[in-house]
Amino acid sequence: MLEAQGLNVAYGDATALWDLSLTVGKGEIVSVLGPNGAGKTTLVNAVARLLPIRGGRLMLDGADVTGLAAQEMCGRGVGLIPEGRRLFVKMTVEENLELGSFRRAARDARNQTRERVYDMFPILRERRRQIAGTLSGGQQQMVAIGRALMAQPRLLLIDEPSLGLAPVVVEQVFETIRAIHASGVSILLIEQNVTRALAVVQRAYVLEGGRIVAEGRPRDLAAHPHIREAYLGAEA
Amino acid sequence: MKRSRHAGIAIVAVAAVALLFLPAARIPAFYESFLYLIFYWIALATSWNILSGYAHYLSFGHGAFFGAGVYTTATLTTKYDIAFLWTVPAAAAVAALLAAGIGAVVFRLDRLRGELFALLTLAVAFVLATIVLNTPIDGGPGVYLSSVPLPKFGVGPTATIYLMGLVLAVIAVGAAYFIARSRLGLGLFAIHDDEDVAEAKGVPTFRYKMIAFAVSAAIAGAVGAVHAVYVGYVTVGGTFDINVAVYVVLMSVLGGMRHWLGPAVGATVIAASLYAFTSGDQVIIGRAIVALGLILVIVLLPDGVVPTALARWRRWLRLPPAKAAAVAAAPPRMAPGEAVVGADAAAPVLACADVQKSFGGIHALRGVSLALHPGEILGLVGPNGSGKTTLINVITGQYRRDSGSIALAGREIGGLAAHRIAALGVARTYQIPRPFAHLTALDNVVLAGSFGRLRGDPDTMRGEAQYWLEFAGLGGHAHRLPGELNLHQRKFLELARALAARPRILMLDEVLAGLTPNEIETAIALVRRIRDTGAAIVFVEHNMRAVLQLSDRLVVLNYGQVIAAGKPRDVVREPDVIAAYLGSANA
Amino acid sequence: MPSWTLLGQALISGVLIGGLYGLLGLGLTLSWGLLHLINIAYFGLAFLGAYLTFELGTKHGVPPWYAAALIVPAFFVLGAALHWMLARLRVTGLVSLLVTFSLIVIIETAIHWTWTADFQRFEHHYLKESLRLGRFFIPTLELMAFGIAAVLSVVVWAWLRYSYFGKAVRAAAQDPAIAAAFGIDHKRNALLLSGVCAAAAAIAGVFIALTTTLAPAQMFAWFGVVFAVVIIGGLGNPLGALVAGVLIGMAESIAMAVIAPAWAPVVAFSLLILLLIWQPRWL
Repeated sequence: MLEAQGLNVAYGDATALWDLSLTVGKGEIVSVLGPNGAGKTTLVNAVARLLPIRGGRLMLDGADVTGLAAQEMCGRGVGLIPEGRRLFVKMTVEENLELGSFRRAARDARNQTRERVYDMFPILRERRRQIAGTLSGGQQQMVAIGRALMAQPRLLLIDEPSLGLAPVVVEQVFETIRAIHASGVSILLIEQNVTRALAVVQRAYVLEGGRIVAEGRPRDLAAHPHIREAYLGAEA
Repeated sequence: MKRSRHAGIAIVAVAAVALLFLPAARIPAFYESFLYLIFYWIALATSWNILSGYAHYLSFGHGAFFGAGVYTTATLTTKYDIAFLWTVPAAAAVAALLAAGIGAVVFRLDRLRGELFALLTLAVAFVLATIVLNTPIDGGPGVYLSSVPLPKFGVGPTATIYLMGLVLAVIAVGAAYFIARSRLGLGLFAIHDDEDVAEAKGVPTFRYKMIAFAVSAAIAGAVGAVHAVYVGYVTVGGTFDINVAVYVVLMSVLGGMRHWLGPAVGATVIAASLYAFTSGDQVIIGRAIVALGLILVIVLLPDGVVPTALARWRRWLRLPPAKAAAVAAAPPRMAPGEAVVGADAAAPVLACADVQKSFGGIHALRGVSLALHPGEILGLVGPNGSGKTTLINVITGQYRRDSGSIALAGREIGGLAAHRIAALGVARTYQIPRPFAHLTALDNVVLAGSFGRLRGDPDTMRGEAQYWLEFAGLGGHAHRLPGELNLHQRKFLELARALAARPRILMLDEVLAGLTPNEIETAIALVRRIRDTGAAIVFVEHNMRAVLQLSDRLVVLNYGQVIAAGKPRDVVREPDVIAAYLGSANA
Repeated sequence: MPSWTLLGQALISGVLIGGLYGLLGLGLTLSWGLLHLINIAYFGLAFLGAYLTFELGTKHGVPPWYAAALIVPAFFVLGAALHWMLARLRVTGLVSLLVTFSLIVIIETAIHWTWTADFQRFEHHYLKESLRLGRFFIPTLELMAFGIAAVLSVVVWAWLRYSYFGKAVRAAAQDPAIAAAFGIDHKRNALLLSGVCAAAAAIAGVFIALTTTLAPAQMFAWFGVVFAVVIIGGLGNPLGALVAGVLIGMAESIAMAVIAPAWAPVVAFSLLILLLIWQPRWL
């Protein structure tokens, strides 16, 4: 589904990603872990084409998308749930959802998809005319997820969904992510919370200082000494 | 920097003295006139820059102050027969009052300050013109000043006007220089980068903007007074046209808006080129060329000529970059009457009683009461939207509370302006660091120290600022701009900056967010050392493990109310807290 | 104290000119509110359009309606090009104000150079009649100007509020990167919006030529009104601009009737100052 080959991405003057290669297979759910400053969000933004790629290639469904603009990725089935939600805060819940369905195919199915989103998150149906900026963090996350689903994505990029949310809400969010994966969407998940991420994915990469330093299945990674110290040690 | 600064002063001084004696050389009046016009533009551009360049409040109404000066002199000399020399300070005063009036209206706004100020000042010039045109001040036909007697400073009237122009230019440049090096200037530069943070660090932003605006206008008014007798016949159309507004902007942008000599250089270059076109038609084209030039300069040379040239000159001479000289760290002064940590620990240093704050329909704080004791680290937790950051903003004065009391060491601070609260000893860091982007790390800390609880002169603060940078582990980065630091370093710069203000209470807003586990360990150790210096700390965090490790006491907020307070281990087990925030998985 | 008839007449003419004020402010309010560019150049373009209408009408005998048919599409393209240039140069915020301010000065100079500083009046015979409503006369031309301005404001407002394009523009104004991630081509949308603003300015210009006396210096005198309209009406709000324009127009006309015509520019400005002092929440 998604393949990055030797990506070099710069953030301003500094190179943020060095020779980075990863894959997300069709229907897979894969996570990229790593400390802050390692480049996880830079990676997501590069894949979403919000940042220019200086070297290497990005392939989506076998096609080279390295040179595409961000607007075009949406049309190819890539959905984004950005770090910090980033809803259109002055617009209503319904308008936010509507703006998700830009793709022609998605627009035709707009009403159905919207109803499905409301089924998934009943509270949004109640608050559909409420201004998005006035919702709580957890509710905003639901809108962000709903907005991304409106585009009927085949590959979903999720950036730090648990950031700033209370543990109870984080539970719900990860349940939703499981459900979305079960419906056939490929997922690339960036997450700070290592325990939760490893509990839900099939494979994970570890990013540090802009490079992939480890890859494997959750069981194997959890036992990796480096990870243990740096991350799970803090959680133990 | 010292070398080039001294060079700059030397050049200006030599030039001023040389120009002073020029009339004695009996050069033709044409040259005196030409030089006078250059002085005229130097004074106008430099005075404009004092507010608009230093603080980034672009004014398009400089012509209004100039015009106010022109007509003050015109009216006082022709209608009231007052001696010309007395009308110059009067013109300056009228212009300053006009500026104060505008400032009083606009400078208190929160949103759109810069934009509204710019457009409002543009409108002012034309409204003033209308008023002058429709009242007996001018009434239409213009005012003749050719028969106004001038003081005898030189060998003739042109020499006198020349000398007055020179004096005004020197005054303008001198004012720009001294302000740039003063506390006022540092405050203005901070306002330029981030006015809200400047206010939160103790800079009296309203007062400083008013002072800068008034000084700027006063000089322009004085220039107007002199110019009135230079032209001899003033009309509304000729005085209040768009020229002054456009030219001073270009001159300052071209020369460099952050430098005291920048506008003078820009003015000299442009005025000299401009007066090569002398006939009427060409003046119109000249204006278009100036406007076009402004666009080009903005796009191509945004920093202006002087700073770019200085940087090139330094590189050419292979001098090290500016201010590379290391500053020796000086231990901080003791606050007067500062008790040893732990003494009188019974009385709270911060006491909030039933504090409420609503934004429209949203009740962010529904009656929060808490107390912070000296030497204590108070953890403040709660789900997203529970009001933690709002509480910090209310305590620091960024928002005004709706009701309830906030007392700092027994003194009510609830209704005070943010900069006064900062000066009383309340400091905070920002979740996403907000350093002053154009000031070095050292200057960021110097600013906080100069306007903090133990106010000081920027120059003498540098040693102490270096101390605090080293305390936060940033000693080697003193001369770097914040943009060159990574997130971790910028967070610690926030801490150094807050500490330099010698606060009684320090509020840390999610200081650990975005740090690696190792960095978190360093930060926790640093927070403990901060507590040991005597400040009481309010520690807002989501990282529960760090909060439990660090806090002496814990307060839990939910929906704008305190739902639990006490020893961390106990609070964490209360059913309300578990239900609202932690979820059963962590109980 | 003037008679009630006179006051009533003043009110009517104030309302009618208010429509024109709103239209003049449309470009600035939309670009400031939605494109984050303080583009006062549209205002300059309106006056250029006025002079072009005058030129085509007096020197070439082109009726204003045909002139409009030529000028409006041309200015649409000009507006898009202007925005393209500003976007290309990456100017935003206060810098955009500086740049567009310089552009206005250039436009004013060009007008001055071409048509001189003399006052010019487009002498025409179109629609000199007035409708009669009781004791009051409603000049047809001004009524038409108001009608077109009002319709345009409402149409633009509805377009921004209900159409996908409008929502896309508003979304991109809040968060351009995320809007792009959802497929919104803000660059293209902005060009379209900018073209519409310039076209509205052109229409305003045609009516300015038909109903007022032209002089290059006049441009800056109108500036205060336009600025007041934009601030009082709320950034990015086309209906607000219309309402603000009408309010200011009425206040000005009353002032002119009660005090003296020359004081009109001060009225808008004073209203603005009062508003800024009072600081309502929606400002």
